[in-house]
Amino acid sequence: MHPAPTHASRRPIGARERALFANFYRRELTLRYLGSTTGFAWALVHPLVLLGVYHFVFTSIFHATGFAGQSFLAFVAVALWPWLAAQESMQRGTISIAGYSGMIRKVAFPHEIVVYASVAATFTLQLIGYLVVLVVLKASGEAIHLRGLLIALPVWVIVLVGVTGVVLFLSALQVFIRDIEHILMPVLMILMYLTPILYPLTLVPASLRPWVALNPFSWMVGRLRDALLEGRMALHWADAAAVVVSIAVFVGGLAVFRRLSPHFEDFV
Amino acid sequence: MTALLALADVGKDYAKVQPRGGRSRLVWDLLRGRSATHVFRALDGVSFEIRRGESLGVIGENGAGKSTLLKVIAGVIKPTRGTMKVDGRVGALLELGSGFHPEYTGLANIELAAALLGLAPDEIADKRDEIIAFAELGDHIRDPIKQYSSGMVVRLGFAVATALAPDILITDEVLAVGDESFQKKCIAWIERYLADDGTLLFCSHSMYHVQKLCRHAMWLKDGRIEQYGTAADVTYAYLAYHEEKEARAKRAIPLAQAATAGLYAIQSLELDAGDVERGTHLTVRGDAYSPDGRAPVIVVGIVRADGTPVFGVASDMDRIALTRIAADRYGFELTLLALPLQPGKYSVRAHAADPEGVRVFDHVERPLFVRGATRELGLVHLQHRWHDGIVR
Repeated sequence: MHPAPTHASRRPIGARERALFANFYRRELTLRYLGSTTGFAWALVHPLVLLGVYHFVFTSIFHATGFAGQSFLAFVAVALWPWLAAQESMQRGTISIAGYSGMIRKVAFPHEIVVYASVAATFTLQLIGYLVVLVVLKASGEAIHLRGLLIALPVWVIVLVGVTGVVLFLSALQVFIRDIEHILMPVLMILMYLTPILYPLTLVPASLRPWVALNPFSWMVGRLRDALLEGRMALHWADAAAVVVSIAVFVGGLAVFRRLSPHFEDFV
Repeated sequence: MTALLALADVGKDYAKVQPRGGRSRLVWDLLRGRSATHVFRALDGVSFEIRRGESLGVIGENGAGKSTLLKVIAGVIKPTRGTMKVDGRVGALLELGSGFHPEYTGLANIELAAALLGLAPDEIADKRDEIIAFAELGDHIRDPIKQYSSGMVVRLGFAVATALAPDILITDEVLAVGDESFQKKCIAWIERYLADDGTLLFCSHSMYHVQKLCRHAMWLKDGRIEQYGTAADVTYAYLAYHEEKEARAKRAIPLAQAATAGLYAIQSLELDAGDVERGTHLTVRGDAYSPDGRAPVIVVGIVRADGTPVFGVASDMDRIALTRIAADRYGFELTLLALPLQPGKYSVRAHAADPEGVRVFDHVERPLFVRGATRELGLVHLQHRWHDGIVR
C-alpha cells in the first residue's frame, strides 16, 4: 500500500520552481565551497589575498598615489568584491549547466534555475565578504561611510540582474560551443584592467575617459566609491540608465536562454 | 475513463551537427527560430494512450527510439510533430532514479527528488525516515551516490518512488541491475504499485519481465510503432523477429568456401512436406560436405518461430554412421514419427559439426507449417488420459 498521492498540480504556481531554486542554491553553496574542507574559507579569503597582493605591488613597489585622497586599501576594497562577484559568477555560471546534465536529460524543469542558483550563490559569498571587510576597514579607522550602503546595496542588485542576463546568454551558448569558457577567461582579465578598479578614472587620459566610462562596471565602481568613500547619496541620470541597461541585458539573456534550452538535453 | 496520457502522431527530430562549424550554425538557426537543416528522425507517427492502472511495456532494439519516447512523456523534450496530452489530474510523473545527482549523498538526493516534485524539505520530513528505511542502505545514505553500486541506486529510486507515490512511474531497464533476490523484491513492489492503481511505463529488454508486469506492450522499430497489443502477442512477435534476423545472419556455407576453409557444411536440406498435419510423419533429408573425407556429425532440430527450441538430436547421440555418397559427401535422412507439434509456424534446422561433434560450422533451416484444428495449449501435444468419474 503506498500513501495517498502528493498532488503537485494543486500547489501554488511557482512552488516547484522555488523548491528547486532553494535546493540548487544550497547545493551550490555547500558542494562548490564546502566540497573541499577549506573551500568556504578560501572563497572569503581569496579576495583578501588579492587585495594584499595589489596593495604590495602598487604601494610598496610602484609607490602609487592619487587615490582621491583615500588609502589604497579602502579605495580598491569597495570595488574589488563586487567585481569578483561579477567575474566569478560569469566564470562559474557559464559552465553551470554541465553540472546538471544528468538531470537535464531525464527530468523536465526550467533550466534557468541552474543559472540563478549559481549566480546567487557566488553573489551571496562575495557580499558577505564585502560587508565584513567594510566593517573591518571602518573599525580600523578608514573613512568608510556605512550610510553609503543605502546606495551600494541597490548597486549590487543592479549588477546582479545584469550579470545574470550575461550568464544566461553565455551558459546557453556554452552548451553548444564549448570554447566559450576558454575565451571568457582572458576577456574577463582584460575587462578587469579596463575597469577603474585598481586606479581612479581621473588617471585615465581625458581623450580615452569617455570610452572607459562606457563600461558598465565603471559606473558600478564609481557609484560605490561615491557612496561609501565620499558619502555622496545623490542619484544621477546614469543610475536610471544602469537600471534600464541591466534589465534589458537580463531580458535579452533570458530570451536567448529560453530559445536554446529546449535543445540542451541533446548536447549537455 | 479518459486516458491519463495520450500521444497523437508524435514525432521528434534531432539536429545532426555537421563536422565543421556545424555547432555555431546550429545555434544561429535555433536562435532565429529555424529548424535545423540536417535532422535525424528519432520518433515518427507515434500514437497511443495510457489509462490509470495500466502497465505498458516498451520494447525495441537499441536506437529504436525508446529513450526519446520516454523523454517526450517525461516532458524533457517537446515533440517536433504531433501532440501529447496529459490529464490535468496527473500529480506527479517520475522516472525511477532519474533526478539523482551523483555528487549528492543519498539524503540530499531524497530532498532533490522531493524538490523536483515541488516539495520543500520540511514537507517531506516525515517521509524521509520511511524512504531511508525502505532503501535499506544503512550508513551509506550519507555517502555520495556516485559511490553506490547500481543496485543501491535503484533501491533508493524505488524507496523515493514509494514515498512520493507518482501517478505515472517510468522505469528504464531498472531490473537489469541487481541480483535475483533484488529483482524479485522490485517485481513484488511494482505488482503492489499496479494493484494500488499506479500507472507504469516499463522499458526493458527482458521479455520475461514485460510479460510478467505489463498488460500491454509496444514495440518500437526505427522510431515507429511496429506493433501494439497484449504483452504476450507483442513480445512473441518481437522474439520471432530477432530469431529471423539471427537466422539471416547465420547461413549456409557455399561449397567453394567450405572447401577452401576446410569446413564441414550442409549442402542440401529437404523436407518431404513443408506443410504437414499434426500427427503425421515428417522426413528430413540432405547431404553434407566433408573436407577430409571423414563423416561429419549432423544435428537436426525443430524450433518455434520465436526461437524456442522444441527438439534437437545429433547423429552421434544415436550412434548413426552417415552414408558416404561421394568421396567428400555424406547423406542423411531421418523421419520424425507422428509429429506431436501443435499447429503453428516452426523451422527445421540442420547443422554440420566435425566428426568429434565439437564444433558446429553452419546453420541451414527450412520453414515448417503444422496444420490442425485444436484448442490445446502449448508447444506439443502430450499423450494423455482423463480419469473422469473415479471416486477415491
